[in-house]
Amino acid sequence: MKKRTYHNPVGVGKYMGLLLVSPFLIGFLLFTLYPFVSSFVLGMTDYDLIHEPKFSGLSNYGDMLGSKDFLQAMGVTLRYCLILVPLKLAVSMAVALLLDMELKAMGVFRTVFYVPSILGANLAVVIMWQFLFTSSGLADQLTGLLGLGHMSWYSDSRHAMAMIVLLRLWEFGSAMVIFLSALRDIPKEYHDAAKVDGCGSVRRFFAITLPLMKDVVFLNLILQTIAALQEFNAPYMITGGGPMKSTTTVGMLIYNEMFLYHDAGYANAVSWSLFVVITAVVLLLFRLTGRHREESI
Amino acid sequence: MKKFLSILTVLCCVLALTACAGRRSSVTEPDGSLDPCTLRFSWWGGDDRHEATLAAIDLWSSIHPEIKIVPEYGGWDGWTEKVAAQISGGTAPDVMQINYDWLISFAGEDTFYDLDRLSDRLDISGFSDEVLSFGKSGDSLLAVPVSLSGRGLFYNSQVYSRLGEEFPSTWSELTALGEPFSKAGIYPLDLDIQSGGTAWYLAVVKVQQDTGREFISMDGQLGFTVEDITSALRFYKELEDAHVTRTVKTRTDEDGSAALYQSPEFIGGSVAGVLEWGSSVGKYEMVLPEGVLQAGPFLTGDDGSSGGWMIKPSLLYSVSGKTDHPDEAAAFISFLLNDEACADVLGTTRGIPASRYAEESLEKNGKLTGLAQECDEMLEELDTVTISPYMELTRMKEYYNTAVEAVSYGTAGPDEAAQEMYDSITAYLEKMRK
Repeated sequence: MKKRTYHNPVGVGKYMGLLLVSPFLIGFLLFTLYPFVSSFVLGMTDYDLIHEPKFSGLSNYGDMLGSKDFLQAMGVTLRYCLILVPLKLAVSMAVALLLDMELKAMGVFRTVFYVPSILGANLAVVIMWQFLFTSSGLADQLTGLLGLGHMSWYSDSRHAMAMIVLLRLWEFGSAMVIFLSALRDIPKEYHDAAKVDGCGSVRRFFAITLPLMKDVVFLNLILQTIAALQEFNAPYMITGGGPMKSTTTVGMLIYNEMFLYHDAGYANAVSWSLFVVITAVVLLLFRLTGRHREESI
Repeated sequence: MKKFLSILTVLCCVLALTACAGRRSSVTEPDGSLDPCTLRFSWWGGDDRHEATLAAIDLWSSIHPEIKIVPEYGGWDGWTEKVAAQISGGTAPDVMQINYDWLISFAGEDTFYDLDRLSDRLDISGFSDEVLSFGKSGDSLLAVPVSLSGRGLFYNSQVYSRLGEEFPSTWSELTALGEPFSKAGIYPLDLDIQSGGTAWYLAVVKVQQDTGREFISMDGQLGFTVEDITSALRFYKELEDAHVTRTVKTRTDEDGSAALYQSPEFIGGSVAGVLEWGSSVGKYEMVLPEGVLQAGPFLTGDDGSSGGWMIKPSLLYSVSGKTDHPDEAAAFISFLLNDEACADVLGTTRGIPASRYAEESLEKNGKLTGLAQECDEMLEELDTVTISPYMELTRMKEYYNTAVEAVSYGTAGPDEAAQEMYDSITAYLEKMRK
């Protein structure tokens, strides 16, 4: 391989570059690399947050693999990811297509649809969600009107999971904005030519829009998958992980082990297992979509 | 660049290992004088406690304007996690209201200041040795109990009157209440598996009364057999089946994750009873019209057996081992515990004070009244059991709640859930005793 050479046309000293990137480097060192490495080290210790950590080798990892709670939390997290990500991609794509139409006041609509993503799973939203899904809440009244009868949102494991998925689905704004910007980059002429050839809108979507957006769809798929696998806020604040731990994600398990039970060594080991799972899932997605071959070209 | 990143990573490894290798502890020595400073004081509780404590801080400020108190307070939910993060990060408040089990779960070399070293500023002459023993670890006094408290039964008297029912005094009377309350579509009592964990607590009381065995001893030994745990879980299930208390499913459905005193079901009278610490019942009292919440008798067996009910130090005050102002912190605690005017302001928001001086002050001012006092007086008549701090550990509560939830949802029978709880508890207690 030919060795790359670098030019320094402005003639500044070689340390100037390091100085200029030092704000990032310091932040990266202190808040990313150091915690990352510390977490790995602590994962191999017996540490209760109060006393000195004691080296315990891989015992935390052994305990983790034999733990019913860990396996259940991992199952919940993967199931949540499998339900949420396709739904979120579909909804954000559908809304992006609607907002790509040439209509008056479209800017207002785009802003309105993005608002839930700005709000996030903050306290006010969570309280609103809690009221929506209590036994006499709006969701229950709606299911009553639809003839579905009373639904136990908090106490039925399937419904509790649905409640969290709905909250995150409602926050489709960031994925939608990425789709929308990609949609607007597709030359209008492609659609016009297809229309002249008698192509319907559905055919145009699958034959023109989707193939041209495959990179953006993949980007959103990766981003949403990682976010879903790291889920903590929504189940922690809405269901508390219940009922019967059916909404306790790995993120919640880490929090509980760390701050409720003070088993910091174990919590860090679980964190690393989550990191490994996320890496494996992302690599799998690259492989399934054939992207690892493109990258190596 | 790769070389640079490799160096950084190795550097971080070394730093992380160094951090794990050991931390130096430095405890500020008391100098006997009160110097101008700022102290952080943290507590949890309901609004009644917050208001009274803020008023007590104002009173302190009028006497010692040079020692400023910065309050940090909130509800119980999430409080342990917050304090755990503060203690592990070395940013714990100077003065802390702590829970009984924290003396075990947070016990470390310099988590709590040895209060015996602050005797010049901290007056503990109003406390009996027995009360002070609850705050000791070995020979060191790490915390001073504010009050002793037990969980008592409190009922919505309006609802009971409307149905023409008396407060129950025996277990069988409690079970019998299920029928008339069921007809009215309401419940005579609430038991939970959330932060209160009253479902398991009441079941333990019942089995302790029946068998005379303590659930967990003070030194962390499990006193119950698998059969005892099975009996406790079966008793809880019977209460659910008899419509005495809501099932876990119904409760979760109706209240979500809200605390009972914030629940429309309790405020509206659909749930007409609560098992609560005498020191914390104020928050339930506040959401109902004045005088509606009343203390009921402690339940006994049909043969009159009245044992099994439990007491513990409801709260304790401690000084952080990392405080820079131990004398001032000790003086502030002494003020909170003993000062006559302060006792008048705080009232019984933390239960009936364990300090003789504070209790006398309340009695003199006619403030030794209310539900906390009634509960306390009734407990004094009983042959109570002192709760082991091991029973209160968060992980232990998780085991209780998991078993109760499994029995309530029917995913496990009492036998199966009891065996699982027994195995988990035995293993955990063994680890914690080391």
